[in-house]
Order: sequence, then C-alpha cells, then structure tokens
Amino acid sequence: MALAAQPFRVSGRALRATALVAAALAAASCGRQDVAAAVGKPTAGPATRIVALAPNLTEIVFALGAGASLVGVSDFSDFPEAARSLPRVGGLEVSAERVASLTPDLVLATAEGGNRKGAVSALEASGVPVLVVPGGSLDEVLTGIDLVGRRLGRTAEGDRLTRSLRERREAVRRSVGSRPRPRAILLVWPDPPSAAGGGTFLNDVLTEAGAENLLSARTGWPVLSAEWLATAPIEVAVLPDSPGNRPVFERAFSTGALSRGTIRAARVVRLDESALTRPGPRVFDALEQLARGLSR
Amino acid sequence: MTSTRGQTAVRLEARGVTAAYGANPALRRLDAAFFAGEIVAILGENGSGKSTLLKVIARIVAPAGGEVLFDGRPLPEIPRRETARRIAYVAQSADLVFPIRSLDLVLQGRAPHGRGFSADSAEDRERAIEAMRACDVEGLADRDASALSGGERRRVFLARALAQEAEVWLLDEPTSGLDPRHRIDFLDVLVREHRARSTTVLLVTHEVDLALSIADRVLLLRDGRALASGPPDAALTPESLREVFGVEARVDRDGAGERRVVWTGRPAPAERPPAG
Amino acid sequence: MKTRGPGLWLAAGALLAGCLVLGIWIGGVRLSPGAVWSGAGPEGQTARLVASIRVPRVALAALVGACLALAGAALQALLKNPLADPFLLGTSGGAATGAALASLLGVSPLLSPGAAFAGAVVSSIGVAALARRGGRLDLQRLLLGGLIANAFFSAILLGVFSLASSETARTMLFWMMGSLADASPRKLLALLPYAAIGAIALLASASRLNLFSVGEENAAALGVDTERSKTVVFLASSLLTGAAVAFVGVIGFVGLLVPHAARAVAGNDQRTLLPLSALSGAALLVAADAVSRAVAAPSELPIGAVTAAIGAPVFVYLLLRTP
Repeated sequence: MALAAQPFRVSGRALRATALVAAALAAASCGRQDVAAAVGKPTAGPATRIVALAPNLTEIVFALGAGASLVGVSDFSDFPEAARSLPRVGGLEVSAERVASLTPDLVLATAEGGNRKGAVSALEASGVPVLVVPGGSLDEVLTGIDLVGRRLGRTAEGDRLTRSLRERREAVRRSVGSRPRPRAILLVWPDPPSAAGGGTFLNDVLTEAGAENLLSARTGWPVLSAEWLATAPIEVAVLPDSPGNRPVFERAFSTGALSRGTIRAARVVRLDESALTRPGPRVFDALEQLARGLSR
Repeated sequence: MTSTRGQTAVRLEARGVTAAYGANPALRRLDAAFFAGEIVAILGENGSGKSTLLKVIARIVAPAGGEVLFDGRPLPEIPRRETARRIAYVAQSADLVFPIRSLDLVLQGRAPHGRGFSADSAEDRERAIEAMRACDVEGLADRDASALSGGERRRVFLARALAQEAEVWLLDEPTSGLDPRHRIDFLDVLVREHRARSTTVLLVTHEVDLALSIADRVLLLRDGRALASGPPDAALTPESLREVFGVEARVDRDGAGERRVVWTGRPAPAERPPAG
Repeated sequence: MKTRGPGLWLAAGALLAGCLVLGIWIGGVRLSPGAVWSGAGPEGQTARLVASIRVPRVALAALVGACLALAGAALQALLKNPLADPFLLGTSGGAATGAALASLLGVSPLLSPGAAFAGAVVSSIGVAALARRGGRLDLQRLLLGGLIANAFFSAILLGVFSLASSETARTMLFWMMGSLADASPRKLLALLPYAAIGAIALLASASRLNLFSVGEENAAALGVDTERSKTVVFLASSLLTGAAVAFVGVIGFVGLLVPHAARAVAGNDQRTLLPLSALSGAALLVAADAVSRAVAAPSELPIGAVTAAIGAPVFVYLLLRTP
C-alpha cells in the first residue's frame, strides 16, 4: 500500500522538505494578485527588527545584506547558514504570539493566505507592520525583492540585485533562443505523482528554462495517473532534489507510478529543492542550471 | 431425576433461576415446574419476569444463577440445536426490518433440523406448508411477512413453531393487540394444534380471562418469584389477584357458567402485602 | 416473490463482465481493443503498456468492491439494520487509523493489513458495545456510535497528519480518500488471502445470518450460538474491511449501496444476497474507478469521493424510509 511503502518521517528534520510544498502552494495562489495591494503600510525609517515568515523571504533579506536585522524566521529557513541560528516563529502555522514577542518593526509574509492568513491578520490587527511580498512568478520575485529593498532602506542594494538577476535571466533567454523545446514535466512529489501546472511559479521556471511544460494547460498542481505518465510524450522529468525526497522518488521510479513507459525512459534533471521551489534570489540559480540541464 | 405428577412427566423445571434481562432484574431465584402436555398461563405485572422466564427457557438469555432442567437435564448440557428442535419460541413482537416471504419465515422453523441451519429440502417445504395449512395461513405463503396484519403474522409465527415440530411452545403475549375475531381465530388454532400434538405450552399473558379459558394451570409471578400456581379456578382468587396485580378483583360466573374476573378497584397501598 | 435461479446469476455475471470490459477500455488514455490484441507497432506497444497498468487495477477494484459489499451485506443481516456499513459504523476509520499508526511507528508494510484489521476489530467491537442497550443493538445508538468512532479516529488521523511531514501527509490524504492508483499484481496477490478467508467465513454463515436478519433473539431461539456467530461475522467483516482499507484506503458506501440494490432484486436470502452483493460490489467499484480515471484525466478523482457522491444520497433515502 502507498502509505506503508513509506514510514512517516516525523517532523523536526523533515521541516525542510515541508518547505517545498509550502512554498509551491504559496506561490501558486499568489500568482495573479494585485501587486500594488501587497505593499504594506509605510512606516517611518528603515526596519531594523525584521521577522520573515517564509524561507524565501529570509533569503531575500540576507541577499540584500540585511541579515543582521532579522530577529526571527520561519522554521524552514535554512539558507544561508547564518539563518539557521535565528529564533524560529513556526512553520506552516506561524505563532503570532511568538512573532509579537520579538517586537518586530516589520514582518515579511508571503502574498498568499492559506495557513499564514490567520497569524498575519492577527499581527496586522495588533498594529505590527506587515509587508506582504509577492512571488507567484519570476517577475513577481523581482518585484518582491525591490519592495523589500525599499522598505529596508536598501534601495540601491535592491536595484543592484534585481539588475543582476534580470541580466542572468536575459542570458538564459538568449541561450534558450530558438533551440528546440523538450517536452517536460516538473514533478513536485511522487506519491501521488503531482506536477507543476500552468499559472504556477514553477511553470514559469520550466518554460523560461527552455522546456515545454506538458501540463501548462492545467492549472495548479495536478495529480497524474500512472497511465498518463506511462504514455504522455515526456522527454524530460525535472525533480526537486533533497536528501529527504530522493529515496521517495527513487522508489517511485523503481516500483511505483513512475516505473513504466515514457516517464521511466525520460531524462531526469535534478535541481536543489530549496533553490528551485522558493521564490527568492536562488531560483535564478535553479533557472540557469535547468537551462543547462535541458540543453544537454 | 424426572419427577412426575400422576402419570405426567415434568418437562421443564426451573430451580432457583436468577436472571436479568436488559435493564430489568427479572428473575430472583424462581422455582417452577411445567408438565408434559399442559397449557400453563404465566401471569404477572409488567416487569414481574414473565417474558424473561420464557427467554431463559428458550436459551435466549443465560441465567445468572440456578438452572433449568429439560426432561431432567440441565439446559447447558444439551446442544443448542437439540433444544431448538424441541422448544419453539414465539416472540411478543417481531419487527421485520427486511422483507421476507411468509413461507421462508415458516421454513426458518426447520433451520435447527437442517444442515448448517439451512432448510430447503422437499421435506422441509412440505412440513412448512402443512404447518401453514394447519394455522390457516397457507394462502399467505408468498406474501411478504412484514406486510401482514398482526393477527396474520401471529399465525404465521405459530405455523413456524408447528413446522419446528417442537414439544414445547413458548408464547409471549400471543394475543395482545388482536381484535376479537383474530384473537378467537388464533386461540382456536392454538388449542387445536396443541391437542393434536400434545405439546407443552407456556403462555405469557396479561389476560386473566385467557388463562381461565384455555390454561390447565396458571403460574403467578411477582417481582421475579413464583407466588402461586395451580388450576385456574383454584389459583385465581381475589386474594391472589390482589397480591399479583395490586388491584381488587372479583371472580364471577357469566351467564354461560364461564368464570370471569371483574376488576373492582385499587386497594390502599398498605393492604398489599410485601412480596415473598 | 423475487428473481432467483440461473437468470439472476447470468445477469450479475454479465453486469460484472460488462464493467470489467468498460474498466479496461475507459480511462485517461483511450485503448483500442485491436491494438491491445495485436500489440504490434508503437501503438500496439503503448496499448499493451496501458493495459498492463490497467488490468491489475481493474482486478484490484473488483476484489476490493467484493470485499466491501460482502462485509456490508453481512453486517446488515447480523445487525438487522439496512444502514449498517463498514464505513458508517466506523470500521473503516478504525482500519485507517490502525494502518496509519503502524506507518507512523515504522512497522513493516507487510504488517499493515494486520494493523488495519486490528483497528477495524477494535472499532467494530467498541461501536457494538456502545450500541448495546437492553440486550439488543439499538439502531440510533449504533449510528451514533459509528459517528463518534469516525470523529475519534479522524482526530487521531489528523494528529498523525500533523506529525508527518507535509508530503507524507499528502500521500496519506490521498490514501485516506481511497486510491487504486498504485495497483499491481503483487498487491492483488497480497489482498487475495485476506479476501478469501473473510469471504469464506461470511458465506458459510449465510444461513445463520438469515435467522439474524429476523432478529438476534430469533437466531438464538432457533439454536444458533449467537455470541459465536457474531464474533465470526464481526471478525470476518473487519478482516475484509481492514484488508481493503490497508491496500486502497477508505472507500465508503459500497457496503451500503450494493446490498440494498441486490436485496431489491433478489430478496433477503443471505445465501443468494451475499454472493450477489460480492459480484455487484465488484462491478460497482470497477465502474466507479473507471469514472474516477476518465472524468479528470490525466488526473484522477479519489474513488472514495466517487462512491460517496453516489452513496450519500442513497443513505439519506434509506434513512428516510427506515421507521
């Protein structure tokens, strides 16, 4: 049976793995939001006590050179190394009380609701400034970095960072150019097999890296049948890779839903899970790697 | 073991039987004996233990203490199937949830005779139809028993007891809720078949007149104990009726010379002696 | 009064055969029978590949459907209650909890059906004890007991979810909703012995169940050792439910729907009703699985959702008709 095939890994060390779905789902639902509405209430002066409620937001703050201003981060924040020692404020369910007790002058939240909505609205109601950062596409990642930079008084750093990321993105676009686009899927989890559909942040990554997402006509995160996986014209399978999910994928490829037909024969490109699935600066690393992997 | 009354063997004997059925602590060290071939009417108030006594004998309820002897043997020593072939139980009411053909219901009486509780042989069917004919319900054989009238259903269940070919019939309030005509029809069939088969009949009832008209003997229960027993004429006196039911009564003779009980009123509580 | 004899079995066999053919033909990928037959060329190879995925799945659906319908039919007769169903009585919930706890504790997958069986037994005995009043099983208390058992078990399952990582929780969620997606011949063979033991025990009890379906006292008065029969039937139906849940998750209402329909056609003789329910249950689940594969292809609906969508209205209908 499906369950018994994999004993549950009890939370604790599994947190990083959880970030994948969390980030993916977060990105999914913020896709088409009005970015203007996402700008938080203006406050006087740059923020100096920041709590980041998602790992991609932690990474953005560090990339802007403001890591020292972070006083709290989400449980899943494991990059860069310095983030690991910061106080934790909860995972999918953020503890509003814990956040408030850190007396932040700025809370960064992802743009979607889901399990973060409750804590975020409680914080807003108690007068804590919350900046909701978009991240539903590569464009929105750049917008988000820009927004955070401005709120931290690091507009110049923000401009520099986004400019460099834009240039790297352009370079990928040029390299992909008119070369044939392999038909691909990006599997986010093997059991049940679920992949990135159209309108998701990962669809953006897959398409810009030069692939044709076979599932772009389906929105969200479709669960795929073994029959479809065995017969669809899949040339490349992109997988998020982490120590936690690698054995699960391997099992699915050897005996599970990925063990037959075209999916088994497809070329596999593995990308670091935390870079690929978090709408932060490192997703451009993943974009470059994926473009290279697809061109091979 | 077997004791006798005149020429007649004791068929069933309860010795110090204690039992609780559901919420009611029903029998308290009850002693009683039932003789082969007699009709015994068991009378008593609600909760006096009448129905429980039948259920203990039918092995539906296991007694918490004491024992019931059947032809001198304690019930637990007899295989269940054997007692089921020899003792038929007709419940007070059978709410049939699922549809069942009357003939199939009567055929259930053959279950203890068949292999693995199935009863489908030609002989079984013959017995079942014979029994239905005897109870004047042959014409209902193909009807859904859950859709029959109360009187029809009682007779179908009596037919089942006949088909079972049991020597003992345990009938729990067989005439309650029947209109006069159906009541008379039912009792006619009952007495006729009892005579034809010399069965022992234990009949629980609230109807004192019924006891007077068909019973060879009455057993009066109160609070789970036997208060008195004997021929109806002797046992049903104003005193015993007051003791059992807590109501004043007179025993009269009607125009045809039949004895009738006339309830005359309720006595003061102090007049009612405490039970045993 | 009701259809009996060879005509009935021919019709039931034809229904099952039709559903099997439909189940193999329909799905996310349309199969041409010719291509499957010839197996020639790329089209033929693809067709055979799909068939190799689909055939074990259809067979597993049939086996699970038979198990659940059989368990439901037997429980209905035993409890003299047309609303009895392993899902509604909390047996499936107990089985799911048993399997989930075993997974959480890292127990070998081979023992998972055993854990599910244990959970099913605990649940059905608990609910029956709760429903027992005045020496008989009270209908309302039985349904309430099932409701409470389901609430209790879903609380435990939610606890297990929250302790598991979010992907395993996702895996588990799909299993909870019922999924035949990873059927394999190996799984089919693993389920078979459980199904066989449970089915034989129930079919052998058919005549006794006929007496139970008029009432437990009725069965006792006719010489049935009722405690023993109840134990056998509860254990066997828990075994069937537990094994089905362990292999394909929680699929509700099959045990409710199928015996009801079969009874309407063939009457309430358990010697006919039990095997007929098994055949029709197999047919129903194969058809429901085909629906779950076809409507949202290339995704699949959880089959438990499909059976519940059909079953819940029928339950309401039965509830309104029950006095």
